[in-house]
Amino acid sequence: MRSFSLHTVGKGSDDSGLDQPGSEYKFFGYQYSFRISYFKMMHFLLLFSRQGKLRLQKWFLPLPERERKKIVKDMTTMVLARKPRTCNFLHWKDLKVVYKRYASLYFCCALEDQDNELMALETLHRYVELLDKYFGNVCELDIIFNFEKAYFILDEFLMGGEIQETSKQSVARSIEASDMLQETMEEYMSKPAF
Amino acid sequence: MPAPIRLRELIRTIRTARTQAEEREMIQKECAAIRSSFREEDNTYRCRNVAKLLYMHMLGYPAHFGQLECLKLIASQKFTDKRIGYLGAMLLLDERQDVHLLMTNCIKNDLNHSTQYVQGLALCTLGCMGSSEMCRDLAGEVEKLLKTSNSYLRKKAALCAVHVIRKVPELMEMFLPATKNLLSEKNHGVLHTSVVLLTEMCERSPDMLSHFRKNEKLVPQLVRILKNLIMSGYSPEHDVSGISDPFLQVRILRLLRILGKGDDDSSEAMNDILAQVATNTETSKNVGNAILYETVLTIMDIKSESGLRVLAINILGRFLLNNDKNIRYVALTSLLKTVQTDHNAVQRHRSTIVDCLKDLDVSIKRRAMELSFALVNGNNIRGMMKELLYFLDSCDPDFKADCASGIFLAAEKYAPSKRWHIDTIMRVLTTAGSYVRDDSVPNLIQLITNSVEMHAYTVQRLYKALLDDISQQPLVQVASWCIGEYGDLLVSGQCEEEEPIQVSEDEVLDVLEGLLVSNLSTPVTRGYSLTAIMKLSTRFSSLNRIKKVVSIYGSSIDVELQQRAVEYNALFKKYDHMRSALLERMPIMEKTATNGPAEIVQTNGETDSTILDTKHLPNITQPASQANDLLDLLGGNDVVPVIQTTVPTKPASAGGELLDLLGDLSLTGGPTPTPAPSVPMSQPPFLLDGLTSQPLFNDIAAVIPPMTAYNKNGLKIEFTFERSNPNPNIAVITIHATNSTEAEMTEFVFQAAVPKTFQLQLLSPSSNVVPALNQGSVTQVIRVLNPQKQQLRMRIKLTYTHKGSPVQDLAEVNNFPPQSWQ
Repeated sequence: MRSFSLHTVGKGSDDSGLDQPGSEYKFFGYQYSFRISYFKMMHFLLLFSRQGKLRLQKWFLPLPERERKKIVKDMTTMVLARKPRTCNFLHWKDLKVVYKRYASLYFCCALEDQDNELMALETLHRYVELLDKYFGNVCELDIIFNFEKAYFILDEFLMGGEIQETSKQSVARSIEASDMLQETMEEYMSKPAF
Repeated sequence: MPAPIRLRELIRTIRTARTQAEEREMIQKECAAIRSSFREEDNTYRCRNVAKLLYMHMLGYPAHFGQLECLKLIASQKFTDKRIGYLGAMLLLDERQDVHLLMTNCIKNDLNHSTQYVQGLALCTLGCMGSSEMCRDLAGEVEKLLKTSNSYLRKKAALCAVHVIRKVPELMEMFLPATKNLLSEKNHGVLHTSVVLLTEMCERSPDMLSHFRKNEKLVPQLVRILKNLIMSGYSPEHDVSGISDPFLQVRILRLLRILGKGDDDSSEAMNDILAQVATNTETSKNVGNAILYETVLTIMDIKSESGLRVLAINILGRFLLNNDKNIRYVALTSLLKTVQTDHNAVQRHRSTIVDCLKDLDVSIKRRAMELSFALVNGNNIRGMMKELLYFLDSCDPDFKADCASGIFLAAEKYAPSKRWHIDTIMRVLTTAGSYVRDDSVPNLIQLITNSVEMHAYTVQRLYKALLDDISQQPLVQVASWCIGEYGDLLVSGQCEEEEPIQVSEDEVLDVLEGLLVSNLSTPVTRGYSLTAIMKLSTRFSSLNRIKKVVSIYGSSIDVELQQRAVEYNALFKKYDHMRSALLERMPIMEKTATNGPAEIVQTNGETDSTILDTKHLPNITQPASQANDLLDLLGGNDVVPVIQTTVPTKPASAGGELLDLLGDLSLTGGPTPTPAPSVPMSQPPFLLDGLTSQPLFNDIAAVIPPMTAYNKNGLKIEFTFERSNPNPNIAVITIHATNSTEAEMTEFVFQAAVPKTFQLQLLSPSSNVVPALNQGSVTQVIRVLNPQKQQLRMRIKLTYTHKGSPVQDLAEVNNFPPQSWQ
């Protein structure tokens, strides 16, 4: 997942006599960019059903479509194979995978090695609470038929893999206000219509 | 044209499909309708259509034709359109897509929109997936929003800034002024995201870190905020199970960790608050334990006083007793990290850790095993080994290999006596014999050889084990080797350690011959037993029987056995005078590599690389034999294949096989083992490769012509090429900078950038003065990794001082010879 972690910017050694701060060449990378080798954050967040059907995918790293599909497949296979009453953490490549099942949905995220898994569980739980508050006793069908709302809520809670807002009420208020701005109410009613 | 069906209608319809084919048909039909709707530039329903497209995308169907439509939606004035448009952009338009950059202008406008929710959408999109170019263009807008008083926007701008910094680290400094009063905010959202931003800055740049430590006095501010959180009463807005804003607490703790690491003053300033958090946090729910966990990690990383460290380890010890599996798992992981530095403190929890070996959860068992190995020392070796052997008996097959290796290592380091050591090895071989790694066999043989006084005991025990069970190959191999070597001790009944058994030469030969014919034996094992039988010809008196066996196998179908038998036969016939010398007792062998205690922890899967890999040898003989075949076809008698890949120093004597066996045992004393093969095995073996002289790739390198990359104002830069041998995807370029002017060029700095698909590493330059009048040159090595074998392009930046004035120049280098990147 995380590709090469070679040095990405030319490094001068200490005796090279260059008076640059931090002895690291600052490079201008005009059209070109290097892949920086560490992101201390969540790499992705996936929701899938017990049959392995994807219900939501949020990627915090740019990855090609093919690789995303492969990761989703790996995740669903690994997590669904877990026996009950095992711990909620897995190791996959060099990432920690934290997952939790809520009713028929699995919430699964991947973290860097440095991150706090127990807190990640709390983060997942907070997201579920937000969904629950919005939909009222949320169930998988809510998320299937209102997937875009699930994304909107997620985007008010997380950004770039980090938490934006720690207050449930605040997130709920923002979503409500945004919903109010929508021009065609019939198109996007709050409550699911199936 | 009727209105396109609604999103939820589509979802309902697709869910009624009973087969994959039916679903695919529905989707194709709808996609066609959507496509024609897009073509008609329909503004009213674009939003609905893109939403449907996104749903189908989630099911796994292609949706790239909707990319431009997302852009149109973003540009629309309607909020609904923008909302879906930005969502679509985040799902379909990551930075790899060509149209990604087209979003920049829309995002820029929306960042300045009058409605904060539109601004929020733009910030969110930029902060989740903005490319470096976009970040560069819009960083100014983000910085502006970071200073706004609107907390809704401020918190989003902070995280957006984090993303910008991740993508374009040089821009970090521009956000510095805006961070000045971020922490005086009351709003928790802003506080949280500010802490994240500060964390990112401190982690990326040591200068920033020391700036925040010293100038901004960040630590006291953070301590104050954390204290308020803990001491404040119930706050309904941020409460989680009785704890006030745990998310913020954890982030602050993490930032404190970074600030305190390696810095005495900062560490001291945070000692109190850490102790307070560690003792006052409610631990009945996961959230409290999450905070404690973060606290422990912080305490272990900073320069905390020893009392605090012991407190931290005790918390982990308590975690180990918790009912919650997650917490036990986390405790074991942390203890594993701290066991090196705080060994004694962790030792106190040894019994709890060993109990975790019996846990039902696989992840916990594995962690407990790794930790147990780390805790083994001279004092507890006997007790620990008992537990570990018991674990080996009952654990899953996945664990057995690692556990066996770990036990071998631990036994080697801390064995209280040779007999105990041999017994332990025997126990492992008999209980998990088929799971031990291939390289354990030579290691064990060496161990046994070196324990001279235990030879009789060892061979007796191994013989008895063979009588019970011949299915576990490593055990059988070690046993047959030992019987071959020490068969005389076995028969003569010399064992001191235990009751010697009565066994005759014939019985021993029965067992060895049984191995040869058994279906359970692998070819390697058969080889071992045939050689063992041969060795016994100098130790036993029943020569005729051995001769018979050897000659029978001279026509074996197995080529390896056949070759051995034929050579042994020759030993009997033509070289009988040499036989006893050749089959003498093995001398004491030196070990090639030892694994220190630190490596026991990383044992899992790592032992192979440290010990000189015997696996290389069997692999290598294969292309050699192919090359030999080619030689035969060419009928070349005078071509001597300089194949350094064959088994080392194979003298054309009949004794070759025994030396071969020595070669298998990865020794230093005898023939030099093959170094890492210079012909990389990862490529399909080109038959002719083995025929040319080594090193292969330097020949190609000699063919890559050097090139002039830059030549202006008297400064000339030439590139010469080499290919790095272990990895053919790395091109090693050496730059030679020369100066034809009269004045020297000082403070010469060479920088390079390559396209995204490449990776670049610059080693340090030979000097930074380019002498005048071509009297010398500055050289520097660049390593370029080009896994996709794309055409190499480079942009270089040169700065130097010439005749007192600074000079800077940029240039594109596109004239790389094709051989350098193909």
